[in-house]
Amino acid sequence: MSAASAFIQILINGILFGSMYGVAAIGLSLIFGSMQIVFIAQGAVIILASYFTYWVFTLTSLDPFFCLLLCLPFFMALGWGFYVGLFHKVSAAGKNPSLLLAFGLMVLLENLMSFVWTPNPRAVNTWYTAVGLSLGPVQISFTRLMVFLISIASAGLVFLFMKKTLWGKAVRGASEDMRAASLLGISPRRVNSLTFSIGIGLAGIAGVCTSTTYPFDPYFGFLFSLKALIAVAFGGLGSVGGALMGGILLGLLEGVGSYLISGGWADAISYAAFLLVIMWRPQGVFAKATRAV
Amino acid sequence: MRNKITRNSTVAFVLLTLTFVLYPLLVDTEESYLVYFFFMCFIYVAMAQGWNLVAGYAGQASFGQHAFFGLGAYVTAITWKAGWTGFLDPVAMILSGAGAALLAMIVGVALLAKLRGDYFALGTLGLGEILRVVFTQGGKLTGGPVGLLLPSSSYESLGPYYFIALAIALSAFLFVWLLMRSRIGLALVAIREDEQAAACNGIHVLKFKILAFATGAFFSGLCGSIYGYFLFHIHPLGFFSLNWALLPVLMTVLGGIGTLYGPILGAFVLTGVFELANIYIPEIHPIFSGLFVILVMLYLPQGIMSLGGKDVAKRILPFISGISKQSERR
Repeated sequence: MSAASAFIQILINGILFGSMYGVAAIGLSLIFGSMQIVFIAQGAVIILASYFTYWVFTLTSLDPFFCLLLCLPFFMALGWGFYVGLFHKVSAAGKNPSLLLAFGLMVLLENLMSFVWTPNPRAVNTWYTAVGLSLGPVQISFTRLMVFLISIASAGLVFLFMKKTLWGKAVRGASEDMRAASLLGISPRRVNSLTFSIGIGLAGIAGVCTSTTYPFDPYFGFLFSLKALIAVAFGGLGSVGGALMGGILLGLLEGVGSYLISGGWADAISYAAFLLVIMWRPQGVFAKATRAV
Repeated sequence: MRNKITRNSTVAFVLLTLTFVLYPLLVDTEESYLVYFFFMCFIYVAMAQGWNLVAGYAGQASFGQHAFFGLGAYVTAITWKAGWTGFLDPVAMILSGAGAALLAMIVGVALLAKLRGDYFALGTLGLGEILRVVFTQGGKLTGGPVGLLLPSSSYESLGPYYFIALAIALSAFLFVWLLMRSRIGLALVAIREDEQAAACNGIHVLKFKILAFATGAFFSGLCGSIYGYFLFHIHPLGFFSLNWALLPVLMTVLGGIGTLYGPILGAFVLTGVFELANIYIPEIHPIFSGLFVILVMLYLPQGIMSLGGKDVAKRILPFISGISKQSERR
């Protein structure tokens, strides 16, 4: 394989994998937009969804992608429960407690998973796991392509929801200024529980996607949270399209970084890019330059 | 009234310190589990107090204390390996603290000038993660992913560790106490309450923020150094573990952020709960710990000091009233 086609291969893999970061990032961005907290347990929820898929697949041999239909309502309900049961009460006490609550939730979920499903890495192996499509010199794994399509579709749905529905308008308004929004009759409680259930629902989708493409263990989630966070910063907070693009950009950056330098440095490269972005372009890489205030 | 309560808490504090000084002289340090337990508590007290200064008083929540902790441990290990310093060498410890403080100053100029609130927290988090990769990839100097092994034959007894950790915790407490009684402390609180107003009153905001950040880093570096001496094996995963950033945060919030005694209380309570859970319910200990954190945040988000201590805290340190007022308004 020539260097050029190897490079194209890396770019494609980066885009395909990055779209998964993107879905996680959209959820994180929505929750941050309305609640102003970084929901650090997002990654742990993603891995929970992966175990959910694995579990359903092993017990009933239901197809993982079909399991998405089961997973989505369950995780949306879970997200609603998180808000109503935990974050609604704590958010009144300020930001630090909410952040630490999310941290506690992450520790709880990680260890619960490791207790129930053992800390050994798991993977969902279906008949099509190893199937690849050849496009000239470039190979595309079928599962990754599916993951990419699902990610784009779910990002598109969320985008349409935000732009076209009254509820979406309420969420956008609330993330701009919660106080002003509540003066206009938007209930913070409803908006927050809505964003939480969409955000956690997206984590469920990302979890199903993870389970089909990669082996996972209970502690893999935290890394996922950090990656989603970086993607959010790349895309600019509160933008659905930006978060997806940020995820893809991160996937590309990691792929190219580990190809050109070395795999071990990939994380440092993405964090360094993250630092540069939040320092010099806090509105995100893709946003039009705004006047510095 | 104020004098009486101040006197009472000072007396209690001195008595407690005396107990801690005398305790290891009365028991066999190698047999007693409590000596080890207090050693860990002292490390956490110093870490939490350092974070409290940065986040609680100066209002700049950092999530990168593990960067300074790990750096301190590595400075200790590398200087010992090179033969410049020895076992439990005060010079090495000061160097470790100073190295961490220096890093905090360099990074602080960039991060603190540009970033506020969440962005600063995320930036410092990124710093810690970058340092872990750098030290993992550091080649011979840092020993790569395996880390550095130190001559563990130097170990004689837990006693010296105990007293050094106690001294670090005490000095962190006294330093913050003195600092908050000075003009610098007032400037830090002013920055926390309203940065613009502080700047308008002639406070060099960046300078004071960096001062607080570097002081917190200094104590983290010291803790990393003594813990490195204790484990004799410095490796990137353990010393740059995010736990070293998150646990002190948790302890400070649990005890009461922006209070002088809160971090101490939080460190002892949380270390105690985690250790007890580890002894009595080892299988589900981490699950229980996560649950404990959630319960505390649900029912005691303002920390233990807010329980009976609201008035007491107000009288011990008048400027805390800002925080209690805020919580009352809510």
